[in-house]
Amino acid sequence: MMKLHFSRKQLCIPYALFLLLFVVVPMLMILFYAFTGEKADGSLSFTFANFAEFFTSKAKLSTLLMSFTIAIISTAICLVIAYPLAYVLARSRWKKKYVLLMIFIMPMWINFVLRITALRELLDLIGLLGTENYLNTIIGMVYDFLPFMILPLYTTLEKLDTSYLEAAADLGGNKFTVFTRVTFPLSMPGVISGITMVFMPSMTNYVVSDTLSNFNITILGKLIDEYFTTYDNWHMGSMISIILLVIIFLTLLATGGFKEDKNNARGANLW
Amino acid sequence: MKKFARILSAAAACAVALSFALSAAGCAASGKGTVLHVYNWEDYISTADDEGEYVDLIAAFEEENPGVTVEYSTFGTNENMYNELKISASGYDLVCPSDYMIMKMIAEDMVEPFTDDFIRNSNYTKYASPYIKDLFEQNGWTQYAAAYMWGTMGYVYNPELVDADDLTRWSGIWDEKYANMSTIKDSVRDSYFLGVAYVYEEELYELKEAYDATQKTEKDTADYNAAVTKIMNRTDPDTIEKVKNALIDLKQYLYGFEVDSGKQDMITGKISINFAWSGDAVFSMDDAEPYTDENGKHIDGIYLNYAVPEECSNIWFDGWVMPKGANVELAQKFIDFLSRPENAVANMNYIGYTSAVAGDAVYEEMVDWYDESAEDTPGFDEDGNELVPYDLNYFFGGTGEYDDYVIYVSEESLSRQISAQYPTEEVIARSAVMQHFDNETNAAVNEMWEEIKGLPIPLWAYIVIAVIAALIVIAALSYIYKGKRREARPKQGYRILKKGA
Repeated sequence: MMKLHFSRKQLCIPYALFLLLFVVVPMLMILFYAFTGEKADGSLSFTFANFAEFFTSKAKLSTLLMSFTIAIISTAICLVIAYPLAYVLARSRWKKKYVLLMIFIMPMWINFVLRITALRELLDLIGLLGTENYLNTIIGMVYDFLPFMILPLYTTLEKLDTSYLEAAADLGGNKFTVFTRVTFPLSMPGVISGITMVFMPSMTNYVVSDTLSNFNITILGKLIDEYFTTYDNWHMGSMISIILLVIIFLTLLATGGFKEDKNNARGANLW
Repeated sequence: MKKFARILSAAAACAVALSFALSAAGCAASGKGTVLHVYNWEDYISTADDEGEYVDLIAAFEEENPGVTVEYSTFGTNENMYNELKISASGYDLVCPSDYMIMKMIAEDMVEPFTDDFIRNSNYTKYASPYIKDLFEQNGWTQYAAAYMWGTMGYVYNPELVDADDLTRWSGIWDEKYANMSTIKDSVRDSYFLGVAYVYEEELYELKEAYDATQKTEKDTADYNAAVTKIMNRTDPDTIEKVKNALIDLKQYLYGFEVDSGKQDMITGKISINFAWSGDAVFSMDDAEPYTDENGKHIDGIYLNYAVPEECSNIWFDGWVMPKGANVELAQKFIDFLSRPENAVANMNYIGYTSAVAGDAVYEEMVDWYDESAEDTPGFDEDGNELVPYDLNYFFGGTGEYDDYVIYVSEESLSRQISAQYPTEEVIARSAVMQHFDNETNAAVNEMWEEIKGLPIPLWAYIVIAVIAALIVIAALSYIYKGKRREARPKQGYRILKKGA
């Protein structure tokens, strides 16, 4: 019988192929479309016109600003809700605490379009639908992406070495100081991981904004979709995609998401 | 992807042919010439359901034409369809775009003309409504397109909550009274039409009054319609600017925009006015009205109404065209098949829209649906009350055996399903076809739409942004300051020791 033997490099081939087909090639295509334009006779030419147009268009800049605002507020609310919860859960000595965690994660098991449609009915019942479009969108984003914030925070806090906290307390730190000087800084990897996981989709997940604001709010993801499907201008659509990519990249850079942290608690970069 | 799916299904078809142990020839025979690639809107042809309530038209066509397989795929927007055609030009034999897209495709020389034989002798020629055929002839589409479904645009409304008199004008929804009660389409063209009707309300109304004062001869009607059409097709920069402002202004009164949720929101009562295509209006009215279920239980509901404001409306239609390189013979055969009145009835039953095909089978179905006459006294209902004649001769005349195509309905039904299903001649007179925009206009209108959807930004958003910016600046400053302080101060260990001492 022949012995199957793969070198490590060979084991990477499937993923390399996947990467090439579904990441590298599409990225190149987006780049190509973004920096080309159609001339009057239908031929393509290299141009920066799409880039210039984006930053001179009032409508596009407003959309950018609005998506940014919605994403930041949603992320902040998620953090405020998730942190205390993750903290309490992680510190608790209760043996069945994972059940509680499960309850918070469980919504992720249900199809998200279904959840958003249900939320729409709920908001209608309360009387917010149709009147408070921004609030509804933010509620939707928070509802939808909260688990993505809880999980990395919980994992980081759970794995936190308690001897640090004891040491801090021994050295005279009160509870508040211990939290602000030790616990919080050490949980930063989880915070950053959570922020990226909530911020990015909040800028683009237009199913939430469309459904809950009755198409009153346009966010960046929606704008890209419109350019591809209704405005029939793939060049501008690709340009907006690239701008979005750059924004997310900058956000990551600003929050230090790329920093190699030696003290990185295991599982913090779950996402 | 679609192409891939097609290859897959073709492969599957071949596999099936082989497994029936005929021969490899069976596979070859199902190649070009006997596969018809149809590209249509979602849910836009009668398809069998579990209860056997509807006819499966595609299966019926295949059965009638042995050896022919229909590869049926669907699209969600005209633009998606157009892009798909641009990418794989020869992939389809028959597509069903909307009016403006048909015009665009004809203008760009993307479609095959029908054969003379088809234009002279097909079921479409025989049974399509004379009104639709005239419209196509006037616009020069006869050679390239066969109408499928058609209708008007108007407001569906709940008469219990909305004053019908307010909706005799398109401007009725620009009103604090109906704040958060109405939706319009999340579609550039439809909303642009609404905006133009609002902006030129006075001009359109004067035209209407002038027309009402005439004898309404055929020529008067044609002139009036031409004048309305001209106004409704204005796309100069000034008009676009005015429409933009009008629609931004409208946003504050709207519940929102909708793609497909308008019907359901109307039925569940979330909204009371919906700017709708007549076909969707019929759907909403059908689903909202009270009925008695199979157990004899009465289910509550509301009778919604449909109104076409007095200034103008938009005649829309979807039609079949054959992209360049299509299998013309087979494609025409399919249109011919769909144009039989009994198949049009099947489609109307399933889709709920109004077929462009007339003929006695369709008329009889409409009598069955809408005529309220008692069995042996046409024109009077069961209590002996006189009914109102609803004249459909303009649509059905000459397509069948009847001398007179009139349906008798009660007064209140005049603003219900029938008015959406078949507009009166009066409505037709003021209904304009909206031409396709050229590339330049299209870009300008799209930009307008973007601004309508993206503006204005609420004040609090600016405040949030300002606060965030301030926080970033503070963080940066404190970072720099802290860095300096750290340099200046003594080593940590020393400080702790000192403190301890």
